[in-house]
Order: sequence, then structure tokens, then C-alpha cells
Amino acid sequence: MSCHVVHERAAERSRTLTLRAHPLRVALVGQPNVGKSVVFGRLTGRYVTVSNYPGTTVAITKGRALVGAEVCDVIDTPGVNALEGTISEDERITREVVRNGEADVVVQVADARNIRRALMLTSQIAAFGKPMVLALNMIDEAYARGIAIDVDTLAGELGIPIIEMVAVEGRGLPELRDALARAARPHVPAHPTASDRAVWAHHLTDRVRRVSALSLAHVQEALARATRRPVTGLPILAVVLYALYLFVGVFGAQTLVKALEDGLFGRYINPASVWLADRFIPVPFVREFLVGQYGLITMGLTYSIAIVLPVVATFFLVFGFLEDSGYIPRLAIFCDRIFRVMGLNGKAVLPMVLGLGCDTMATMTTRILGTPKERLIAILLLALGIPCSAQLATIMGILGGISFSALATLFAVVLGQMFLVGWLAARVLKGERSEFILELPPIRWPRPGNLLTKTRLRVWWYLGEAVPLFLVGTGLLFALDKAGALVWISAAGRPVVTGLLGLPASTSQILVMGFLRRDYGAAGLFQLAHSGQLTGVQAVVALTVMTLFVPCVANFLMMVRERGLKTGLAILGVITPVAILTGAGLNYVLRALGVQF
Amino acid sequence: MSSVHLAFSSRTRGRAPQEPVGGARPLSSLGEGTRGVVVEVRADAGGRTDRLLSLGVTPGASVVVLQTFPGIVLLCDQTELAVERQVADAILVRPQESQS
Repeated sequence: MSCHVVHERAAERSRTLTLRAHPLRVALVGQPNVGKSVVFGRLTGRYVTVSNYPGTTVAITKGRALVGAEVCDVIDTPGVNALEGTISEDERITREVVRNGEADVVVQVADARNIRRALMLTSQIAAFGKPMVLALNMIDEAYARGIAIDVDTLAGELGIPIIEMVAVEGRGLPELRDALARAARPHVPAHPTASDRAVWAHHLTDRVRRVSALSLAHVQEALARATRRPVTGLPILAVVLYALYLFVGVFGAQTLVKALEDGLFGRYINPASVWLADRFIPVPFVREFLVGQYGLITMGLTYSIAIVLPVVATFFLVFGFLEDSGYIPRLAIFCDRIFRVMGLNGKAVLPMVLGLGCDTMATMTTRILGTPKERLIAILLLALGIPCSAQLATIMGILGGISFSALATLFAVVLGQMFLVGWLAARVLKGERSEFILELPPIRWPRPGNLLTKTRLRVWWYLGEAVPLFLVGTGLLFALDKAGALVWISAAGRPVVTGLLGLPASTSQILVMGFLRRDYGAAGLFQLAHSGQLTGVQAVVALTVMTLFVPCVANFLMMVRERGLKTGLAILGVITPVAILTGAGLNYVLRALGVQF
Repeated sequence: MSSVHLAFSSRTRGRAPQEPVGGARPLSSLGEGTRGVVVEVRADAGGRTDRLLSLGVTPGASVVVLQTFPGIVLLCDQTELAVERQVADAILVRPQESQS
């Protein structure tokens, strides 16, 4: 007996010791799109991308938070609908966090409207035996929709602290910090099967929730309806695309680019750098490296800041607006049948639309898809056909200036190729597609604060990741030029470039640079087109080939990380010939028909 | 809330979904605006039941059919879901008598 007590004390002491050995680790777990990342941001001061659709977070993020006098490690996890049974790859990541002792306390973040589903998850988290706190987020939206929750009864029933929150406004955050110390193992009866769990959650919900027919969210509900019905939804889609074109293609790619390229760089920065270099840099080699034909400033900076940045920034702004409004998942309803032909389902619209922002990030988002086959097809199609924002920039900049039909031709050819390759891949690859089941988030007015933060961070990300690569690319071009290799590349590429594709020989080097980053290559084309060295047909052919190439080194590395080197190389091996042959075919057809854009 | 008959079938797909279970009909056969209670979710080989269950589509849950074309959209409790026809075939619903 006494021995037992001693043993227990020892155990207790060792537990205290382990607690001191590392900071208290708090995992935020919950259904997709309930606001885990907002709570994480509020607790730690670190911003994680927040959007209004499930699957924004597909990897874990860690941060530090001060709770009382104690420093805690906070872990933001991908949203989960379930922790057992058939789960997707991002859900598996979260299960590992809860299971493997990476977390001492689990804070379940829940959508207050949907307490029934939240409780089904509570019961699954409880099975891992961790102390818990339940945070009922978006309690204001629940009230607006006529939903009232008896928190005291629920807390009594579960035996854990329950916090009502509006995380975007910071309401309930102090209470959540306090509650962490009182986290407890929930009193949830053991449920052997999923249906037992459902029955328990159902009955408990009946006891603590009152739903009245009164709803104050009329406008949002009407909009939500309009966006998913074909009669209203398709015109809305057309308006959205046209607005996107006006803001990004006209305002960003033409007005802003003109102001920056011809104005800021053409009139001030470049002449000033040339003047300074001529005066102060005696070595011609260095001078040329900075301000020559392949100069870091005259080419690298001009490309990245004057040509690509304005379009990327305007695009990220519109894109963030669409993300936060909850509109994008609704497109899945319209796309489901088309995607099914390509071995996917409507859910794939999420990574595809995200790819317009950045193909590399979108490749990671394919984790939300149901089967390995779907993931592979989506990754392939992303790399093949979806132009990223920077590339979209140059496409719109060049073709928007030529004619609308030039732009339409490019998109028709690229979409056609995606469809064809997807159709073939669906038949050649082994495996199944999963059934289309997608949760539609509510339509919300985007919060200007989140929109600006998100756009700012994405622009910074572009500056941090793309600009250095542009400079490296320029340096490489300079070195190749000095070594005389550019002439050699142009000569070697001539049969394909001038023969098959009908392009000027100088485009060879641009296409080679396109391997580094597609948008870098496209920016090169932009300048070529600008100085009148490309005809309309040539511009369309060159851009089509460039769009179909693998986007950039980063995207390739991400494919390798997600699916392995063999698959990565295989994708490259499929895409490169498809890109060149499509360009050749397009060139042939356009010339045979005598098309002039 | 009345107690509901709870059943999860383990039948695999390929079986016709038409046969009614105590007045229940497949959700795919219901018109827009129909309200009802889920009676059964038929399983397939791909874990459909698991996924629907985790989204709250469980026996006893109340559903409203919001839209039937081009895809089927339903409101289950407080969750709006878009599903393809094959999935809606597998959700058996007892429609409510009174349309209120």
C-alpha cells in the first residue's frame, strides 16, 4: 500500500518534471473552416493564411503564446471531419499530432452553429485521453441564424471548460487563455462505433441547442443561393471573371505595368543606373553585369518589379476577396461533371483555382483530395495547364495588348490540352476516383483587415521567392552570354524553335529560362513582344508552349516532395513533349488558316 | 425529437437504391424544398458512409433538399453539402408529411 503511494508520488513528480522540461503544448483541432487559424493567430501573434473554405491549412504550423506567466507552444492543425475511418492525407497529419503525444492539451475549435458535428469529433478526440477545452467559435453567426446554445449544461455534461468566442474580433480569447489551466479529460462514454457516436451527439445536441426559425442573415443566404443555382450562378461567374480581367488584365497588366516599366524604370531607374555605372564603375564587365542587355537591374529587376509585380499584387487582392467570400467551393457544383471525365471530382476546383495564385502551393493543397490517383492527376494538370499569377500577368500583358481572340485562343488550347491529358490520365492510371461530397462554406463579407494582411504577405512572399530567382536567372543568362553559350543554345534549339514552332531564334534562350520559372520566360517574351519582334501568331504559340511547361523549379521540387522523384520526373517527361507538340500543332494550324491576331 | 430507427447498411454498391425502407426514399428522388429525416446511409467500397457520417449525415439528422441541378445540394442540420447523384442515391430519407 505505502509502496503504491510512493510509486504514485514518483509518477506525479516525474510528470511535473516532464511538464517543466518543455513548454505546455496546445494543439488546436477542429472541423475544417471553423477558425482554427484565426485562434492561432490571436494566441501567438503569427499570421497563418485564413480563408473561407475548407482546406486552407494542409500542414501544421507552430507558434508561441503567453498564457499567464507561462509560455506555451501552440500547434495549428489541418481541419478534420474525422480522426478514424476513411480519412484524407491532411486529416492523417492532425491525427498524428493528437495521438503521438505532440500535444499536452487539445483545444477543440468548433463552429457554434454546428455543435452536433463538433460533438461527434469531441467524442473521437476524447478517445485519445488528452485534457480538452472546447471553444465555440463564431457564436455571433450562430445567434444571427437563430441558434442558441446552453453552454452551462453542455460544460456540465462534458466536464470540460467551454468558451464562447468570436475569434476574428478577439472576443473570448482571454477566457480561452484562462481555461487552458482548467483543461480536463471530457466525460464522454466510450463509443465503439461511429453510429453510436452519432446517436450520442444527436441526443446531447437536442438537449443543449435551440433553433428558432428567425434568421437575420437574409442577404448572405440569398447570395449563397444565387451563386449555386445555374440560372443566376453562371451569369455571376461571368461577371466575376470579367471583373477579374478588368482589374488584373487591364488595370494591373496594362495601366500599372506601363506606369512602372515605361515610367519608373524606363525614365528614371534604368537611365540613372546606367549613368551611375558609366561614371563610377570602371570595369566594363561589372558594368554590363548590372546594366547591360542581361543586367541585374536593367533586366532582372525590371522584369520582376515592373512587369510581374503589379499583376501579382492586383491578382492576389481579387483572389483573396474570392477566397474569403466563400465563393470558390460553389464553383465545384458546376465543374463536377467536367472533372469526372478527367478522373477527378468537383472538389478538385479548389487546388485548380488556387493554382492561379501559385502552382507550388496548390500542389500541396491536393492533399484534400480523396485518392492517390486524384492527387496525381491534379498535380499533373496543375503543372501542365494552370498558369500561376505571375505567368497570368505576362499572358494578359502580351495578349491583352494584341487582341481578345489571341487570349481566347491560348486559353482554349490550354484548357483543351488539360482536358485531353486528364482524360487520358484517368484511363491510364490505376486507382479510383472518390465520390463528390463537398461542404459549402457560408457566404461572408470579406474582412478588409484579413484581406490586406493576406495580400501583403503574399506580395512579400513573391518578392522573397520570385525576385531572387529572377536575379539568379538573369545572372545565369549573363554568364551564358559571356561564355558564348547563348549562341550555341539558340543554334541547338533552332530546329525546334524556328522550325517546328515558327518563332524567332532568340526565343530559344527565353524558353530555356522558362524552365527556371515560367513567368521569367514569359517576361522575356513580354519584352520581345513589346519591342515588336513577335507577330501575333508567334506570341500566341510561344506563350502556349510556355504555359504548358512545368511552372518553375519550386513547383518541380514540391511535386517530388509530395509524390517522389520518379513521379516528378515522369510528370516532366509527359509535359515537355506535350508542350512542344501542342505548340507545333498550333503553329501549323494558325499558319495554314492564315490567322492574323 | 422522436427516437429514430438507426441503421447502417454494409451493402456494397451496385444494389438498386429504389426499394423503400419504411417509407424512405433515396434523396436523389426528392424534389427541391423537400424536408425529411435521414433513415439510412448505404455503404460502398470507398468509405462513403464514413465521410457522410463525419459531415453530419447520420440516421436521425434532418435534411432539406436545396437544389437538384447541376449537382445535388442539401442542408443537413446546419451543414450545406454538394454531392453527386451516386451519393444522393445512397442516402435514404423519410420525407416529412407536412411541408411547413
